[in-house]
Amino acid sequence: QVYTINLESRYLLIQGVPALGVMKELVEQFALYGAIEEYHALDEYPAEEFTEVYLIKFKKLQCARVAKKKMDERSFFGNLLHVCYAPEFETVQETREKLQDRRKYIAKATNQRGCFVLKKVEGPKKTASKNSEHDCPWSTAESQVASNWDPSCFTSSPGVSHNTVYPSGNQNQSLLTSPHYDNNCAEISGYFGQNTSLTPSVHPGGHTPPASLMQQRMVPVSNGIDRFMPRTTHLQERKRKREEGNKFSLIGASEDYTEVVIGPQLPEIPKVDMDDESLNTSATLIRNKLKEVADSVSTTSVEKPESSSAKPIVKQRRRI
Amino acid sequence: MELGRLEYLQALVTEFQVTDSTGNKRRCSLALSLSSVSSHTRLFFLAEAKEQVLANLANFAYDPSNYEYLRQLQVLDLFLDMLTEDNETLVEFAMGGLCNLCLDKTNKEYILEASGVEPIINCLSSSNEETVVSAVTTLMFLTTPRSRAQTTGLPVVECMLRFSLSANTRLSNLASIFLQDYCSPPQVEEARNLSRHTAVGIPLPKD
Repeated sequence: QVYTINLESRYLLIQGVPALGVMKELVEQFALYGAIEEYHALDEYPAEEFTEVYLIKFKKLQCARVAKKKMDERSFFGNLLHVCYAPEFETVQETREKLQDRRKYIAKATNQRGCFVLKKVEGPKKTASKNSEHDCPWSTAESQVASNWDPSCFTSSPGVSHNTVYPSGNQNQSLLTSPHYDNNCAEISGYFGQNTSLTPSVHPGGHTPPASLMQQRMVPVSNGIDRFMPRTTHLQERKRKREEGNKFSLIGASEDYTEVVIGPQLPEIPKVDMDDESLNTSATLIRNKLKEVADSVSTTSVEKPESSSAKPIVKQRRRI
Repeated sequence: MELGRLEYLQALVTEFQVTDSTGNKRRCSLALSLSSVSSHTRLFFLAEAKEQVLANLANFAYDPSNYEYLRQLQVLDLFLDMLTEDNETLVEFAMGGLCNLCLDKTNKEYILEASGVEPIINCLSSSNEETVVSAVTTLMFLTTPRSRAQTTGLPVVECMLRFSLSANTRLSNLASIFLQDYCSPPQVEEARNLSRHTAVGIPLPKD
C-alpha cells in the first residue's frame, strides 16, 4: 500500500467498535491524539454483527495520522478496531486545504518558500536561532550544467524565516543519515543537492521519525561561498573536521572516488563518502552498476528515441 | 536505522534492477531455488517483489528528508519509467510515488525536464482509482507558469470536467479543485463547449 496525500485525511473511519454503547469511551481514546472536531456513528455503513462504525474528524491531519497508526488493530472492549482514512467524506474546501497544507509542508521542509537564487551567504547569520538566511543551492535538477542557473525560475526571497537550522557555508552533514559530500563534488557538473531540514517542533508526527533531526546539505564550493563557519554543534564540527581532513589526506579506499562519470547526457554521479567502509563499498557497487547501465544505454541510443531527440542538455532518462 | 537509510534505499533500487533483468536474479530477497520453481511461478514472484520494492520507494517518497537520496539513486526516473508498464499495480505505485515527491522544487523541475507530464496525463485514463487520483494531484502540483500549457491543456481540462461529475467524491473533489484553482474560466468554458460536440480527448477510465 502506498500512502499519498490523497489517501490521508482528517477523517478516520473506525470499524469493529463493539455495540455496547461505548461511543464516549471511543472518542475519549481517540482524543488522546489530538483535538476532535466532529464525530458520529455511521449507521448506514456495512458492519459486522454486533459492531458499529464511527466517523471521527480530527482538527489536524497529523493527529489523525498518529491516531490511525496507534489505534488501528488495537483491542477495544474485546474487539479489534480497524481504523482507516476516509477522504471521501471531505468537502471540496477541505481537500483543497489539505493539498495546500502539503504544499506548505514541503516548501518548509525543503526550504523553498518562494524560489531562491543561490546567493552568497550574508555573513554570520546565525543558526542558534532558527531563523537563518539560507541559500539554497539550486539548479533545475541534474539536467543543467553547474554554472547554468536558471534565473527565470527564481526570485529571491529575503527575510523568509523558517524553523529550520541552516548552516550556510561549507557543506555539513547530517548527524544521522545523509551521505557526506565532499567538497569536490561541487566541481562535478550538474549535480546539486538540496537543503532539507526538518525540525521536530515544526512537523510533529507523521512519517519522519528521528530523521527530523536531520540536516543535509550540499554546497558547491566552486560558487565562491566563503569558508564561513556557522556555529554548529560539536558533533557536526568534529565530523566536518574529519571530513576536511579526509579530503586532503586521501585516507583509505573510501576516498578514492576519482572515477567521475562525465558524459554529454548523463549527470555526474557525485562522490559520496559515507564515512564507513561497508557503506562506501555498497555505494561504489551501486555506482558502478549505474555507470554500467548508463554506459550501455548511451551506446544504444536508439533505445531512447524520445530523450535523445530532446534538448541535448537534458539528461537521458535511463530505462530501468 | 538512520545510518543505514541510504544503504537501504540503495539496496532497494538495486533489488529492483536485478529483479528486472531476465529472471537471472543474483540477489533475491525471496529465497527461491531457481531449479525447483517453474518459470511462471518465478515470474510471478519477481513481479511481486518488484511491486513490493516499488511500494517501499513510493512511501519513502512521502518524506522530504529522503529526496536527496532518491534523486541520487535516480528513483524519479524509475517512477516515470514504471508509468508505461502493463502491470497496473506498478503504475499505481509509481504514480503514487511521483505524487508524493513532485511538490519539491527540484523534483518538479526534473520531472518536467524529463517530459514526465505526458505519461502522467495518460494515467488519467487508467481504470485504477488510485492511479487516476494520484495523477490528478500530480498534475496540479506540477503546474507552473511554464508547464501550465501542458498540464492544463484542453484534453486535460475536458477530462477534469468529466471527473468533477463523478460519483467518486475523492475524484470529483480533486477535479473541482483543479478546474477552480488551476484553470482559467475561459479554459473551462472552452472545454465545456468542446465536450458538447465531440468525443475528443482523454478516454474515460473504464469502470
